[in-house]
Amino acid sequence: MPGAADRGSELSEQIEAFVARLRGGGERPRSEDTARQTLSLLRKIIAHGRWSRAGELMDLIRTEGQRMTAAQPSETTVGNMVRRVLKVIREEYGRLHGRSEESDQQESLHKLLTSGGLSEDFSTPYPPLRANVIEAINELLIELEGTTDNIAMQALEHIHSNEVIMTIGYSRTVEAFLKEAARKRKFQVIVAECAPFCQGHEMAVRLSKENIETTVMSDAAIFAVMSRVNKVIIGTKTILANGALIAVSGTHTLALAAKHHSTPLIVCAPMFKLSPQFPNEEDSFHKFVSPQEVLPFTEGEILAKINVHCPVFDYVPPELITLFISNIGGNAPSYIYRLMSELYHPDDYEL
Amino acid sequence: PEDTFRAQLRDDPDVASAVAAIRALLGFLKQDRGETIQGLRSSLLAAIDTLSRVDSSVAVSSGGELFLRFISLTSLEYSDYSKCKEIMIERGEIFLRKVSLSRNKIAKLCHPFIRDGARILTHAYSRVVLRVLEAAVESKKRFSVYVTESQPDQAGQKMAKALRKLNIPVTVILDAAVGYIMEKVDLVLVGAEGVVESGGIINKIGTNQIAVCAKAQNKPFYVVAESFKFVRLFPLNQQDVPDKFKYKADTLKTSQNLTEEHPWIDYTSPSLITLLFTDLGVLTPSAVSDELIKLYL
Repeated sequence: MPGAADRGSELSEQIEAFVARLRGGGERPRSEDTARQTLSLLRKIIAHGRWSRAGELMDLIRTEGQRMTAAQPSETTVGNMVRRVLKVIREEYGRLHGRSEESDQQESLHKLLTSGGLSEDFSTPYPPLRANVIEAINELLIELEGTTDNIAMQALEHIHSNEVIMTIGYSRTVEAFLKEAARKRKFQVIVAECAPFCQGHEMAVRLSKENIETTVMSDAAIFAVMSRVNKVIIGTKTILANGALIAVSGTHTLALAAKHHSTPLIVCAPMFKLSPQFPNEEDSFHKFVSPQEVLPFTEGEILAKINVHCPVFDYVPPELITLFISNIGGNAPSYIYRLMSELYHPDDYEL
Repeated sequence: PEDTFRAQLRDDPDVASAVAAIRALLGFLKQDRGETIQGLRSSLLAAIDTLSRVDSSVAVSSGGELFLRFISLTSLEYSDYSKCKEIMIERGEIFLRKVSLSRNKIAKLCHPFIRDGARILTHAYSRVVLRVLEAAVESKKRFSVYVTESQPDQAGQKMAKALRKLNIPVTVILDAAVGYIMEKVDLVLVGAEGVVESGGIINKIGTNQIAVCAKAQNKPFYVVAESFKFVRLFPLNQQDVPDKFKYKADTLKTSQNLTEEHPWIDYTSPSLITLLFTDLGVLTPSAVSDELIKLYL
């Protein structure tokens, strides 16, 4: 069928373009946009792809997912969305297969003792599966739209009048959070500029437009100022399975200073940033960009004698974090494992 | 049943004592001639009691309790006794087959955490740790291991011998040298005889010391344990661990004053443990109680 072939090649073109955009770098893409684009792409693959059984579909999604994550490993939202879709497929298949809603697909001691057979085989074809899965993905997309608003709605419970809040860099989630609180409360914000890209400046400009009293300071002054701060609110790039963070470079310093002064550290992040990976050597979350920002190329004489690095991300261990505020509410870092089991299936942790 | 148990332990030194206990109990179940669930339960309780008189370790106790739970869960589903018994035997066999794979599952989960060039500290002799290190060697990683001598039975020497056979560079250190060696070490990896509800572990004496030193120097402390070692205990301190686990079965029988005996195990609290690797996945200590609740409630 020429129609299907055309659609097929157009689809692979789109996937190629997406992968190239991920790999290309350039300016920092918004995580929510990446998540939305991944979901739309996956929906197209499901709608137009050639598959008849759930097992084939899952393999197809998995291969495309591996290709996309390999392009830019530090963009974990791509992998997270792929895993969400795989879980959706499993659920829809289970529902059609007539399994009871006990939904205990996880391994547990209970299951070890009571189950009779081995794991599920996704080979029975069901015609309504395609429509059901696409419906579920549309729901996911709607959920994605609302995440920032859901997080911002919780702002009033956490920010009180006359407080001094500290943040670092530029996070759109934190910006929305603070703006929402500013509508009813009066407070001050200190923004650490987050060298070398100095995104803190942009954050400060946006906040001051909403008439929030903002101060910008250098990263080196974080510890000095911390004693006057009531709360630290930050965004993050990724949340790891043990409750740790991958956030912009400089966040670990901020977290350590906050711990030292016993200042609560609140992380505002939507659930699609939760990744089921643990921090280990295989992880390539370390992303280095051109050291031009750290030491410009004009300093040629020195450059020949030294090594210059410009890492983009930092690892923050879970002990330093007080609370995660996400679109499903506030949670402690020790509870992250539970949220993970609700979002993803253990067989999908390794794509 | 105690003869089968002893025979099992003798024939296959590689099997965990909890698995041997469950196998013996399953054999006992097959031979049982009772007609009611209650009768079965009481005879099983007596059998578990005899087993713990042979080997009063935590592992046997957790294996026994798991088996009892298994019986209760199955009997709830089927009211007809003979059918129930058939299902129990069938599920028991499947369970034993699954747990034999558990060590490999754990090794697969754990070996990515061992980096190339890592220096690992381990304590006494643990078959699960051995399997994990074997998997790391198979994935072409180079690392070196420090083993504590682990008095009073010198279990560390046994571990060192097994590691040398795998061509891993090993150093045996004194138990007292843990504080000294901790700055050189990259991570600590220990097994467990039992995992308690709070997420802490019960393991050979000396483990608590190692955990405290590791915490003080910010080194990750990893525990590897199969899921059948999860036990329904919630000790708040060392005194809360029951005496029957701390001392060997013969000591309990013969000694006059237990305070003069040296305990064989200690309790490590969950705040000192970074991650637990089990066949149910990689768990943080807070996730352990969740698993236990899912089973027992």
